[in-house]
Amino acid sequence: MRKSLLKKVAAAALAGVMTCTMFGGLAYAEEEVTIAMLPKFKGENYFDAVKTGAEEASDELGITLLYDGPSQDQATNQKQVDILEGWIAQGVDAILVSPNDPTAIAPTLKKAQEAGIKVLTFDADAQEDSRDLFINQVSADAAAKGLLDAAKQDLTSKGYGDDKKANIALVSSTGTDANQNAWQAAIEELLTTDDYSFMVIQNKDTDILYPGTDETKVNAECATLISRMGPGEDQIQAAIALSSMSTPALGAQYESAASKPDATVITLTGLATPNALKTYIKDENNPLSTGVLWNCMDLGYLAVQTAYQLTTGEITTDSESITAGRLGDKEITDRQVVLGDALVFDASNVDEFDY
Amino acid sequence: MKKRTFKFSFNVALFLIWLLLFAFISIKAPNFLKPNYLISVMLRNIIEIGMVALPMTLVIITAGIDLSVGNILVLSCMLGGMAAGAAGDAAGALITLAVGLICGIINGIIIAKVKITPMVTTLATMYLYLGLARGITQGDSVYAFPLAAYLGNTVIAGLPIQIWIYLVLAVVFVYILSKTTLGRKIYSIGLNPNAAKYAGVKTDKILIGIYALTGVICALAALIWLGRFTSVKYDAGTNFNLKVITVVVLGGTSINGGIGDMKGTILGTLIIATLNSGLTVLNIPIDVQTIVQGAVLMVALIAYAVLNDRAKKRKIVAVQ
Amino acid sequence: MKKRSFLTTEFYLFCFLVVIMLLLAVAAPGFYTLNNIMSILNSFSYILISAIGMNLIILTGNIDVSTGALISVVALASAAIGKTGVPFAGLLPAAMVMGALLSTLNGLFITGLKIPAIVATLATTQIFQGVLPLTVEGSIYDLPASFTWLAFKAKIFGVVPASVLICLIVTVFFLLFTRYSRFSKKLYAIGNNRNGARLAGINVDKTVVISYTIAGALFGITALIVATAGQRVTTTMGTGMEMTFIAAVVLGGTSPAGGSGKIIGTVMGAFILAIVAPAINFLGISPNWADAVKGAIILISVVVSAARNIKGRRVIARCAVRQGG
Repeated sequence: MRKSLLKKVAAAALAGVMTCTMFGGLAYAEEEVTIAMLPKFKGENYFDAVKTGAEEASDELGITLLYDGPSQDQATNQKQVDILEGWIAQGVDAILVSPNDPTAIAPTLKKAQEAGIKVLTFDADAQEDSRDLFINQVSADAAAKGLLDAAKQDLTSKGYGDDKKANIALVSSTGTDANQNAWQAAIEELLTTDDYSFMVIQNKDTDILYPGTDETKVNAECATLISRMGPGEDQIQAAIALSSMSTPALGAQYESAASKPDATVITLTGLATPNALKTYIKDENNPLSTGVLWNCMDLGYLAVQTAYQLTTGEITTDSESITAGRLGDKEITDRQVVLGDALVFDASNVDEFDY
Repeated sequence: MKKRTFKFSFNVALFLIWLLLFAFISIKAPNFLKPNYLISVMLRNIIEIGMVALPMTLVIITAGIDLSVGNILVLSCMLGGMAAGAAGDAAGALITLAVGLICGIINGIIIAKVKITPMVTTLATMYLYLGLARGITQGDSVYAFPLAAYLGNTVIAGLPIQIWIYLVLAVVFVYILSKTTLGRKIYSIGLNPNAAKYAGVKTDKILIGIYALTGVICALAALIWLGRFTSVKYDAGTNFNLKVITVVVLGGTSINGGIGDMKGTILGTLIIATLNSGLTVLNIPIDVQTIVQGAVLMVALIAYAVLNDRAKKRKIVAVQ
Repeated sequence: MKKRSFLTTEFYLFCFLVVIMLLLAVAAPGFYTLNNIMSILNSFSYILISAIGMNLIILTGNIDVSTGALISVVALASAAIGKTGVPFAGLLPAAMVMGALLSTLNGLFITGLKIPAIVATLATTQIFQGVLPLTVEGSIYDLPASFTWLAFKAKIFGVVPASVLICLIVTVFFLLFTRYSRFSKKLYAIGNNRNGARLAGINVDKTVVISYTIAGALFGITALIVATAGQRVTTTMGTGMEMTFIAAVVLGGTSPAGGSGKIIGTVMGAFILAIVAPAINFLGISPNWADAVKGAIILISVVVSAARNIKGRRVIARCAVRQGG
């Protein structure tokens, strides 16, 4: 008697747990267009801004937008695949992905295509044959040039040049991101040209860091990097961060360094949202004086617009341009939609942005 | 006698919980019931965890634990993948299994011979295997070779090949634990290792064997995993150990050793699989899914603690 | 016999540390810059503070794998409070209280339902982890100067981070605490022999819960140090840290079965773990090898100390046999 009662109690308790989660379920009408958006990870300014733009577009178009992604510490391909498979099963109309690993995600994306779902990548590309369109924020060359120009400008004003070489270090992300790898390659390429040849990466093993996407780990590796910076030949003069996680970490770790390397001999710059860098850029004593980015909200907006028009048939993968709402016409080349150029911001204009 | 009926009732409870869960999700999200989704998403996605949970049940019954499983998995398929690139498929598979075996034997020898508690040993080797995987690949991904791709993506008689592999393994493990003397010996080690030793059980050998077996099954799971995802990076094993332990504990195996049941582990696997993919279909954000999994584990623990307590009390009354 | 007592785990660890430090002085000249030392001391501080808490828990034969998730929760909650401009003097007690409360829940869960600590805290980990992103959309950023004061401005003599001072106070307090307080004797007693302790009149459950409460307050301090490192706090600040703390404790010679272990060992364990990653970076080795080195150090250290113990036991056993014969 007792035993069966307990069984019931246990079962009832579980049922209770389940019911509690019911409110989380979303129901949506069959006819509506549903677009699902998967960032590399959630909970950081960059993708939050993208989401804001995506929501703006989905409100404008009156469609359902599903937005979910792994947490920062689990920004792995496995997590992304888990989420994708749920979306494929319920048959959304289009999927927008920013893959953590371009090759690893490809089979799942192909599976989605076989199920009749339009697959688009944004922010970072996947294997080309596994997606219909790629919404690129900026070409790799333009991003690399933007970053190097920002560093170069600051370095030359601090007396470096052809007769006084500068050692640079790169802070990348996880090592498999398509973007960071493309930008890194473009940077290394540009460093061989005359314009930038005074900047040198001395040792690729130690001077290109891959701290991942975990805040604490990024902070720790950036702290070590800052303490290796200074005017000496065996020290680093410029640190360029390639991810929106590491750029603010460079600024913060400079602030908290015990004996700060002289700000007049080193420079820090990198990709990040203006909000994340505001404090450091405005602080004249901090060598982080510039940041590089594109308009993230526009990226989200453009991504959802493109996905919607591809679903409804207004454009196809062969179209040559798209009229993307408030952004106007954008060109499509090689199944890529490019948002625009990189944007360098500094103390004079950082307040104009709010993302 | 008493113990036997009690164990039976716990598995029935687990089964009812699963049924309830399954019914609930099916009603809320009709998409869930598509056979294609049930087989190629729900079951296929849990196979690696379910497979490793089988030997992990043995480990936990001996009052041990293996925190390094996720990283054995990653390290073995990385070295295997590299070997396959250099010397072909057969070498790749062989190296994968060999690395799993070696990792497992290292764990087993340190635990059984050097007498360091399983938790500390596998905590240290967890770091070591992760670090080796990361260092050797320098953070790059390793890509699937044809054999791994075959194990990860082939369908035989309507079911993905990995489900067949799992079924075979499950039958073998259930048989070993419940029908052989080896199974009884494993329980005896968990209940009282010294008594087992004096009763003539070769505890050291069995322990090393169990950890080695865990390593090999991890390696086998690694091949499937590599095939399913086409590439694996060093951080892929994060939290894998905790997921496996959750499944085993949910299945009613006591972390203190000596008590446990392979069928419970299989039911636990089924419940977690249903939860994982069910909540995804219901469009519940991934964060809530984490909470629900924690809550289910907690409820199971409480239910188990209460049941256990009652059973003990009744036993005491019976003795008196 | 007397000579033997010098050859403790702590002694070996100390020798090991000295060797590493000398090696670094020769092979990595840039290592001993003020800046690098201070940044290592900072991470050493937050690892050690929590490792001491973890040590108290492990002494009783329990464990806490939810620490990382707990730290994430407290870090984010502290940021939410800090956003309103509350100064450090208010944040510190708030973080300690939050940490203590959450950790007490763990303790109650374990003792109340008699669930093994590792699985109980495994369940609470998932709950802590999941709750966070629900309460906060993304991260809390643009935090005021009052929040980052601890990391950016609070320097003793202008160089030493204030976190080091906090750590020093905590360490000294607990060194004295474990040596002289009656409470700590109870912790050792429970770890050595739970039933014996109960029969000796110790309220085992209460003592275990209190050990979790104290440890929680220490986790809270770590959370605050980690959170104030920059002007942005995200939802995963503490993820994975529990393993570092457990490793520091184990490396320091504390038996995970409970009942033995010294704070001073934990201090050295934490220092070794804090030094590994920056050291190999300065030695010109890729940081990708850091985890492998950490794992090897822990493994070698526990194997060596266990091998010594086995030998010791054999000697004692032989003596006993001889006496008996």
